Amino acid sequence: MDVVQFLITGTAAGMIYSLIALSFVVVWKSSGVANLALGELVLLSSWFTYAMLKQAGLPLWLGLILVGVFALLLGWLIERLVLRPLIAQPILALITVTLGIAYFIRGLVIVIWPEGLGELDLFPKTPVHVGTAVLSQELLWGAVISLVLFVGLTLFFKYHRMGVVMRAAADDQLAIQACGVPVTRIFSMSWMFACLLGAAGGILMSSISGVTFGLGETGLQSFSVVILGGLDSFLGAIIAGPVIGIATTFAGGYLTRFTWPGVTDIVPFIVIIIVMFIRPYGLFGETRIERI
Amino acid sequence: MHLPAGTRNYDYAHDMAIFRTRTQWVLLIVFFILLFTAPLYLDNYWLRIVNLIGITVIAATGLNILVGYCGQLSIGHAGFIAVGAYTSTILTTRFGVPFLVAFICSGIMAGLIGMVFGIPSLRVKGFYLAISTIAAQFIIKWVVEHWTSMTGGFNGLNVPAASIGGMTFRSESSQFYLIMVLTIISLFLAKNIVRTRVGRAFIAIRDNDLAAEVMGVNLFRYKLLAFFIGCFFAGIAGSLLAHFSRTISPENISFMDSVLYVGIIIIGGLGTTIGPILGVIFIRLIDVLVTQLSPALQSAFPSIPGNFTSGIAPMLFGLAIILFLIFEPRGIAHRWSKIKSAYRLWPFSY
Repeated sequence: MDVVQFLITGTAAGMIYSLIALSFVVVWKSSGVANLALGELVLLSSWFTYAMLKQAGLPLWLGLILVGVFALLLGWLIERLVLRPLIAQPILALITVTLGIAYFIRGLVIVIWPEGLGELDLFPKTPVHVGTAVLSQELLWGAVISLVLFVGLTLFFKYHRMGVVMRAAADDQLAIQACGVPVTRIFSMSWMFACLLGAAGGILMSSISGVTFGLGETGLQSFSVVILGGLDSFLGAIIAGPVIGIATTFAGGYLTRFTWPGVTDIVPFIVIIIVMFIRPYGLFGETRIERI
Repeated sequence: MHLPAGTRNYDYAHDMAIFRTRTQWVLLIVFFILLFTAPLYLDNYWLRIVNLIGITVIAATGLNILVGYCGQLSIGHAGFIAVGAYTSTILTTRFGVPFLVAFICSGIMAGLIGMVFGIPSLRVKGFYLAISTIAAQFIIKWVVEHWTSMTGGFNGLNVPAASIGGMTFRSESSQFYLIMVLTIISLFLAKNIVRTRVGRAFIAIRDNDLAAEVMGVNLFRYKLLAFFIGCFFAGIAGSLLAHFSRTISPENISFMDSVLYVGIIIIGGLGTTIGPILGVIFIRLIDVLVTQLSPALQSAFPSIPGNFTSGIAPMLFGLAIILFLIFEPRGIAHRWSKIKSAYRLWPFSY
């Protein structure tokens, strides 16, 4: 009975991780920037949602539209102001600049929302019974919304003109430039996309556990999804999320009695280390061959 | 190598000297005199800041060897500093080991643990390595938080003051001498490590690790050595930090601190000896500026939110990292060498 419970909870929680991980993959695929500010972007969007819905008391639909606009604007600003001047810089600079963004956003959040904890209860609290297992409604909604977003994204990247162009840019930037597509606009789009996905993940995550600084760590934990699935694979991120989620719940259920408490928090990080040792490019990632 | 006008090398020793002209020696001696008489004219507040700068310089120098010279990005430095701090504390309090021995042991311990987490660097680099060092830091933090019998868990531990022989370093000024001497020795060691065979191998790996391997550099050995050296410095800095602040707890191991160390060496200038020093001074001065100015600002503009002080410092650090990467990616050290060459070449600067 426990097993079913853990499987369902883990899958649902893992799908939200997948959503945040996708936000990373979109940017990595199109522009090769490793966005380590992921957790902080999630944090900022969640706090903005809190401000719109709870502090300003806007209706749900208006608040969510505003959050969407905010996320798009945030992505555009970050790309335009910070990443654009750094095009073609070494990877070290591209990684550390996102760390700078993370630092900045964290400071901003401390200044604007000093309370440190916000309740964001968007979904009803009554748990749902699935067979013998009990599932909280937030998790269920999170999983459903994530699933809808996955399908939407897949369709977008497969059929929409912009999606096709973005995939092409990920494949070969020079070729797409020769076809007359401004690559910088693709970068901009991918950042806006990433922030939107991050915001969605953040809202779902914080409707479960509230808006806290822990979201920054959640962002870092979702890197385990990216690493396990392979850095440049959408499919990998979608599959690896539930795997990580299940691993976390199982560890929480079975491992805690053997180790110290709180083992669930670091399972994603242990997964990262294990993947690094065994298969560094992940399950579906492209193994890169280097030449001098 | 930019040499002052009229300086020639007559033998190898002269060529390798760090301080080579009479002016440089005079400046060095003046600097040392100023430094070691500092407790006479600095009050405890400033001594504390200078002490903190010294400790941070040691840690940043280690990270600079790892990132700036060997090109292996590590964002878990705070974790390795904590390893050093806890090792030193546990050795001195539980096993009664003398401070100096514990000091070296904490460096070795941090270095060994750094090597374990550095093993992935053989197969991956860049972002992958960054993530695995982040993971390392969270795993270290978790162990420290929960291994209560050894580390005191969330409550942390009290640390005795450092003592060598019969001397105990309790006051700010006595600690100042201890920290400054150790900082200078560390800097001297670091400067010389990167000029030897090992350092040249590091630079070759940074510039192109495949090419380095083809040239005969043993990647396995040198990458792990870089992790060992980088984390060794982190460990001894951690040991000093523990005996300086007299208390340690898991709260000191924060991801943001690790980011800050990377920021420090970026701002100071990667792959230069003076870079970490300048970077640390820059960051600490921002810190001081914020703590000094924000109460005044808050009383002048009451509408500023209450957490302004604790929030504005991270914002400025982040902004500094971003701006330096965009406008001066080679850091303050590069700007400093430009100033020096402008001074040397004046008035014919072409």
